[in-house]
Amino acid sequence: MTAQVFSLPVFLVVFRESLETVIIVSVLLAFLKQTLDGPAANKKVYKKLKRQVWLGTGLGFFICLAVGAGVISTFYTAGKNTWDSGELLYEGAFALVASIIITVVGAALLRIGKMQEKWRVKIAAAIEGPVVSHVSFSGRIKHYLEKYAMFILPFITVLREGVEAIIFVAGVSFSAPATAVPLPVVVGLLAGALVGYLLYKGGSTAKLQLFLIASTCLLYLVAAGLMSRAVWSFEAHAWSKAIGAGDAEELGSGPGSYDITKSVWHVNCCNPKTNGGSGWGVFNAILGWTNSATYGSVISYNLYWLFVIVGFITMRYQEVHGHWPLMKSKADTKTDASSQRSEQDSEAPAAAFGKTVAAENAVEMRG
Amino acid sequence: MPFSMRPQFFSLLLSLVTFSWAATVTFDLDIGWVTANPDGQADRPVIGINGQWPISVLEVTLGDRVIVNVLNSLGNQSTSLHFHGLFMNGSTHMDGPVQVSQCAIPPGSRFTYDFEVNQPGTYWYHSHNKGQYPDGLRGPFIVHDPDDPYKDQYDEEVVLSVSDWYHDQMPELISFFMSRRNPSGAEPVPQAALFNDTQDLSLALQPGKTYFIRMVNIGAFAGQYVWFEGHNMTIVEVDGVYTHPSTAEMIYLSAAQRCSFLLTAKNETDTNYPFVASMDTSLFDAYPEDLNYNVSGWLVYDDKKPLPKPALVESFDAVFDDMTLVPYDDQPILGEPDQTVTLNTIMGNLDDGANYAFFNNITYTHAKVPTLYTALTAGDQATDPAVYGTYTHSFVLEKDQIVDIIVNNIDPGRHPFHLHGHDFQALHRSQAEAGPFEDSNVTAASFPAIPMRRDTLVLYPDGNMVLRFKANNAGVWLFHCHIEWHVVSGLAATFVEAPLELQKTIKLPQEHLDICASQGIPTAGNAAGNEVNLLNLDGQPSPPDPLPAGFTTRGIVALVFSCLSGILGVAVLVWYGLAGGENDPGLQSLAAKVDATPEIRAMGGDGERTGEHGVSSGADAGIRL
Repeated sequence: MTAQVFSLPVFLVVFRESLETVIIVSVLLAFLKQTLDGPAANKKVYKKLKRQVWLGTGLGFFICLAVGAGVISTFYTAGKNTWDSGELLYEGAFALVASIIITVVGAALLRIGKMQEKWRVKIAAAIEGPVVSHVSFSGRIKHYLEKYAMFILPFITVLREGVEAIIFVAGVSFSAPATAVPLPVVVGLLAGALVGYLLYKGGSTAKLQLFLIASTCLLYLVAAGLMSRAVWSFEAHAWSKAIGAGDAEELGSGPGSYDITKSVWHVNCCNPKTNGGSGWGVFNAILGWTNSATYGSVISYNLYWLFVIVGFITMRYQEVHGHWPLMKSKADTKTDASSQRSEQDSEAPAAAFGKTVAAENAVEMRG
Repeated sequence: MPFSMRPQFFSLLLSLVTFSWAATVTFDLDIGWVTANPDGQADRPVIGINGQWPISVLEVTLGDRVIVNVLNSLGNQSTSLHFHGLFMNGSTHMDGPVQVSQCAIPPGSRFTYDFEVNQPGTYWYHSHNKGQYPDGLRGPFIVHDPDDPYKDQYDEEVVLSVSDWYHDQMPELISFFMSRRNPSGAEPVPQAALFNDTQDLSLALQPGKTYFIRMVNIGAFAGQYVWFEGHNMTIVEVDGVYTHPSTAEMIYLSAAQRCSFLLTAKNETDTNYPFVASMDTSLFDAYPEDLNYNVSGWLVYDDKKPLPKPALVESFDAVFDDMTLVPYDDQPILGEPDQTVTLNTIMGNLDDGANYAFFNNITYTHAKVPTLYTALTAGDQATDPAVYGTYTHSFVLEKDQIVDIIVNNIDPGRHPFHLHGHDFQALHRSQAEAGPFEDSNVTAASFPAIPMRRDTLVLYPDGNMVLRFKANNAGVWLFHCHIEWHVVSGLAATFVEAPLELQKTIKLPQEHLDICASQGIPTAGNAAGNEVNLLNLDGQPSPPDPLPAGFTTRGIVALVFSCLSGILGVAVLVWYGLAGGENDPGLQSLAAKVDATPEIRAMGGDGERTGEHGVSSGADAGIRL
């Protein structure tokens, strides 16, 4: 009886997909509230950024619905899962972008926690400032990305998770009666939203720095999983191409569903992608679990953490010493700041951090 | 001649065959590559004989001694010949399977098969090496019987082969089939079906006459539904066993099966009739749109009349059940079995990612020493199945034992199982989906009193069957699925029958040992070539390991490492987040810059910086990420 109106796999898929989104959205919202909604707040900027977050979420959700409608109508007209062939590719690309954005945003969040007051002003300036028109194209792109990060991050996340959810739900709804789909979708979304709300509540009332640390840790765990999943998805895509369309999906988590020459471990259970993934889907969303790890996914996961660790140690070094490791200290850079800059850009541990260096030099030049 | 099926046949046969008064028939077969295009779709290299393809029908008479002189002129492949269905009584070393009864015949080498034929009927000969025969090296082998019980009932005899056909060569197809890129073990789907290695075959019939049609499926894979529009078939022989006459509208011939029947021509000549072989597509994993599953031919009464298109059949329900046949000799069911061998047919993947076929938990892998040679050199230990190695899956039978083979199909495909050296009584065959024999309620009491006999029987999907035979033919005999793909993937077991008697009776011709020596293949000792300790099988050829069931050391290390990375990473995040504050020099400079924001922007606006480095000013206006 319950099976007729409530498909557990559909619920788990929707819940699992919305979970990742709500973590990001609620962390962003909680962050904005804490940073900008205080007594010394800049209400205008707070509202603007909050709107960006919601706009990104909403637009992503809307596009998902549109895509979903398209996919489902294609199912019933062409009777073929047109998205399926490229699904892993989309998933991989979205996961990669999301991972990078989270990484960059996460670093910013943590740093902001240390200099809350200054950054309030800073962010206000950022949001209200005009886009500088004469700088290089890539410069403008970067600028847009920064200016609208609060929009882009939830947008990309919702889009990725949503498209994934639609494909899964559509796949499941072939085997389950159509009546069993709507209720679990709604319940799944509500459950996800509830988790998000609790996160937000907890986040926006806790001590800012602790909240930021905790939420950033969570974000980085997600991002590491995403990085790993991006590589995994690309590999899985290549594999499903190699063995013929749709075959890998048919094989479930059994032999042949993965390329044995690239496998590090494979357990015939705990597949986060089949049957709604059960608990493993949640495990996958937060920690990047997979039942079928490849060299690529394991190495990328570890490299990601290595990169993060080195990155943060470097940042801390800069904070303590006032200059980056392996670089001249301030006094020296003054002499040849403009020629130094390009080198620093390339040597810096990450583009994001490198940019800070460049900006810093700009400050110095002014001095 | 009323039959123009093989116009080149008789002249060709004459060139091949030297009849002798001592009833010794000699065939000189020079095996080499030729180009052919039997379905009109693609020229391809095929393995021919004496520069010809299709290869000849070999015809002998009951009681003949047959000498087949083989020269391997292929250049790039070794070969062997198996005479399918012939018992090779007293000459098991002439049976042909490579690494079972002989070494492969390497390119440039000669090999002579020398045996007596004491069974009448319809047989065929084909390569038994590395899935080679679908490349063309297969043809009918007919044993004429002067005392054929039906000889007065027909006027003419026709040999009609049916086969599937591939455009690609087997080595290439096998390398894909047995690869990790084919994890489901999907067998390559043929590109066409053939009658007598051609299409649109015409059989000229004379009104009122009766024809004895010997059909043989020489294909690699596909079973074939065969029917003649407007004509019934009266089955009188299957796999070399005469049967009481049985009428059929449609028959099913699996790969390697034969069925001979009487077909009586109509008295009217105003219409020609199509006949059709339709490949059993239930075997196929894919249904290419451009594949014609059927091949048709015509019974031609009047070649001026049109050749009508075959009518579509609604279903194959009319297909004849070969289990209902009764052997002409009325041989009763053999007594209770002395030995019962249960074989479960399973498909699965091994550690190289490829899909293998298993009897129970063993996928057949050739031993280092041909199994017959182990039997001949193992002394008293030849009766211990262990000496034949784990992966030849050998069962040792004592002379004159009654043996039951129970085959359970744990696979959703049909499998035509063939026993070398014997025909068997088919005691029971379940319908599809019946499950294993031991779970069924079938008892010995329900076995037929006079069971049908043949040498190749189709096992239905997820069903079971019981075969019985008497071990009265000393030799080393394979039992295997005759879908050539499954031979390649290991669906075979070995019966070593009366090995001690073999040691007394079989004298290997020097040539057999020579071709082994030329390839460095040992001809004595156990499956691993060990002549000292026959129970020491170190070094026996073995299939890849099973797939690991869960985490291996590699996986555990990777997982632990990943967890440590994550924990360490989080620790660094926490450390960074808690460390220091706005008074750190680095942060101070940042803070200073935040204060200075308006000026920076102004500077950027002044256009002092352009190009790549100008980014910094623009970036300044954004959130510092």
